[in-house]
Amino acid sequence: MTADPRFLIVDDFSTMRRIVRNLLKEIGFGNAEEAEDGVVALNMLKAGKFDFVVSDINMPNMNGFELLKNIRADDSLKAIPVLMVTAEAKKEDIVMAAQGGASGYIVKPFTKATLEEKVQKIMTKQG
Amino acid sequence: MGHSEAAVLAGQHPQHADGADAAAAVPPSGTDSDDGIRQRIGHLTRTLHDALRQLGYDRELTQARDNLPDARDRLAYIARVTGEAAEKVLNAVDRARTVQEELTGQAGSLQKRWQAVAAYAADGKGCTPAGKSLIGETCEFFAAVGGQADRTNAILTDIMMAQDFHDLTGQVIRRVVTLAQSLEEQLVKLLIETTPPELRPRLEHLQLEGPVVAPEGRDDVVADQQGVDDLLASLGF
Repeated sequence: MTADPRFLIVDDFSTMRRIVRNLLKEIGFGNAEEAEDGVVALNMLKAGKFDFVVSDINMPNMNGFELLKNIRADDSLKAIPVLMVTAEAKKEDIVMAAQGGASGYIVKPFTKATLEEKVQKIMTKQG
Repeated sequence: MGHSEAAVLAGQHPQHADGADAAAAVPPSGTDSDDGIRQRIGHLTRTLHDALRQLGYDRELTQARDNLPDARDRLAYIARVTGEAAEKVLNAVDRARTVQEELTGQAGSLQKRWQAVAAYAADGKGCTPAGKSLIGETCEFFAAVGGQADRTNAILTDIMMAQDFHDLTGQVIRRVVTLAQSLEEQLVKLLIETTPPELRPRLEHLQLEGPVVAPEGRDDVVADQQGVDDLLASLGF
């Protein structure tokens, strides 16, 4: 992971994108872009170099599961960690995300401490 | 409970308006061709329609259908207004953070200068006891500014995090709107199927009408305050 990792925040609600972006800035990661759904996110990921994806699940056009599947199926993207941040709290969804290759899973509403912990944990794992 | 309603609930066939027995028109079992099935469904629908009409439920169905777009639009309005409110709060938090950062920066700069003054005064060079005390208190104040700024930032973070209600409630509203839309479509289909052919064009027109709250493309509503002002100005107010 680079010293100034570039984040992509994917959520269909602009308020949540702002919240995650501000939280990442507070915990020391100020380099972030935003996408409103999986389709936009996938295009951005293919077009530019990103080091970390924070994604919602329930989104129009392409949901978080589909985005995760596409990322993991693409040789140039599959190494990027994907942290799911979602209101979907069903166990089957959490299991599905893990089986699909998600690096972490946060249920909304969440705290700054939770986001920081998960991001740092994934960063440490990535090396 | 009326006779017809009781009959429907009991699975019996009430009489048609023209007196014919709906059950008598149903083909005998064992002829399950597509046409036969369609014919039977048609008769069941007719029976249901008659029962609903006799009970006055067709009017209630129409009324329910008419109210659904309004309910959807009201929910969409709530989602939009709460979203705008959340954005306003986030903007205010951003502005407050900027002010806080400026304050902290200025305090840090002044703290260094006052520390130099304090070192000078500590040598007893031209400073009264009251002056020494004031210098000490000022240095302590500047030293505390950083901690207070951190606490303010933590509060601002709490305020920011509370705006996640927009995402959470918005998702619920979206699901209810989708449900209402599906319900409305099914009600319209039911009404069309149970309405005499000569009255159907009116209902089909209703189906195409869609939401009425969205002001875009309408000339009987204003889209914003500018529209209100322009309208009042055109009337000479």
